[in-house]
Amino acid sequence: MKPFFKPKAYFRPGSLGKAVELLSNFGDRAKVLAGGTDLLVQKPSGAECLIDIADLGLEYIKEHENGVEIGAATTVRSIGVSGSLSSEPYLVLRDAACALGTPTIRNMATIGGNICNASPAADLPLALMVLGASLTIMGPAGKREVNIGEFFENIGGKNIQADELLLSINIPASRGRCGTSFQKLRHHQTSIDIAIVNVAARMTCEKQACVKASIALGAVAPTPIYARKAEALLGKKRPNAAIIQEAASAASEEVNPIDDVRGSKWYRKKMAAVLVRRALEESSRRCGIWPE
Amino acid sequence: MARVNIKIKVNGKLQELGVEAHETLLDTLRERLGLLAAKYGCGDGECGACTVLVEGNATLSCLTLAAHVDGKDIETIEGLEQGSHLHPLQESFVEQGAIQCGYCTPGMIMSAKALLDKDADPSEEKVRRAISNNLCRCTGYEKPVKAILEAARRMRGEK
Repeated sequence: MKPFFKPKAYFRPGSLGKAVELLSNFGDRAKVLAGGTDLLVQKPSGAECLIDIADLGLEYIKEHENGVEIGAATTVRSIGVSGSLSSEPYLVLRDAACALGTPTIRNMATIGGNICNASPAADLPLALMVLGASLTIMGPAGKREVNIGEFFENIGGKNIQADELLLSINIPASRGRCGTSFQKLRHHQTSIDIAIVNVAARMTCEKQACVKASIALGAVAPTPIYARKAEALLGKKRPNAAIIQEAASAASEEVNPIDDVRGSKWYRKKMAAVLVRRALEESSRRCGIWPE
Repeated sequence: MARVNIKIKVNGKLQELGVEAHETLLDTLRERLGLLAAKYGCGDGECGACTVLVEGNATLSCLTLAAHVDGKDIETIEGLEQGSHLHPLQESFVEQGAIQCGYCTPGMIMSAKALLDKDADPSEEKVRRAISNNLCRCTGYEKPVKAILEAARRMRGEK
């Protein structure tokens, strides 16, 4: 263990009120512990106390008429095997969960941790972005809702304060027929390594046309991003190979990746186009409008 | 430094311990309980040498705080042997020669046990996925995969 990670105190609050009170008292000096698969790797030296959210009742997947609500401490494995997420539009989230890390990591890692760690390469946020999910966050002044698309700011930055806690993720039910897809490229497709590029897509269809498309990409910008130009190219048309290729090329022009140990900027741009194409093909297949 | 009092069941035996706030389950097992099978490898969750079962699920004990598993049931490879009889997974690892240096073996067997406890007849692909968080740097994966499938057959009572 790295010697500088030595929090002096461990708290396991039994109520949300107590948890927020602890966060308010300690501020930046407190770290929220959920699955630990990011926190115990990063071992931040400034963490003076740990606040474990295991006893807050935040581990659940609830279906209701307006969609699905997922507790922040729900494990990635539970999401991957949940019957509530085994039909559209939720397949993108299930598939992203099954692509995250390894089975052992998935037993431990939580959806809230995957969001709040705010990695530009995180898997679940992309799925939640195309699903139009919102986050319920609690602080000393009460609860607030924030759209997942407005949560990420710069690298690792996020729209949540030190005295706030993510409680749940709310996914609205879909109106109309939907097809979704999650695609992830990594050095070895079953390895623990994070994405070189990852993509989530969703198409909403009426009759044989795509009426709305949503595309989100990861590991190609300082935050997860939407490919708005590519989305616009798909509207109101029946997708075919040419349209999908055009959208994929447009998406690869919208990204701004870096060179790093996992891949070069050039390679990431090329792969962004490939993954967007595959994601759109699978989305339209799952929508029942591909191939023509 | 404040201690955290925890009660955990390790291989069926209740343990009441005072642990440090930052103490990992791996350190508790090794340093306090003298259970040396789970190993420290990478410390980052990549190698799986520290894998133990928490409530039956394969868990990386180097990334798990001891305080976090208060009240939970922990299983390590030391708990697999029944009297003088090895567990079928241990037997078949020995017979298949699925061990070389042995550093990854306890973690790999515990990952395999988590799988076989839930799925008595897994496909080879499922076996490979179940041990995908266990790195072996000497003998590779062919023999461990064979050994796990063989153990599954034995546990089903097939010859």
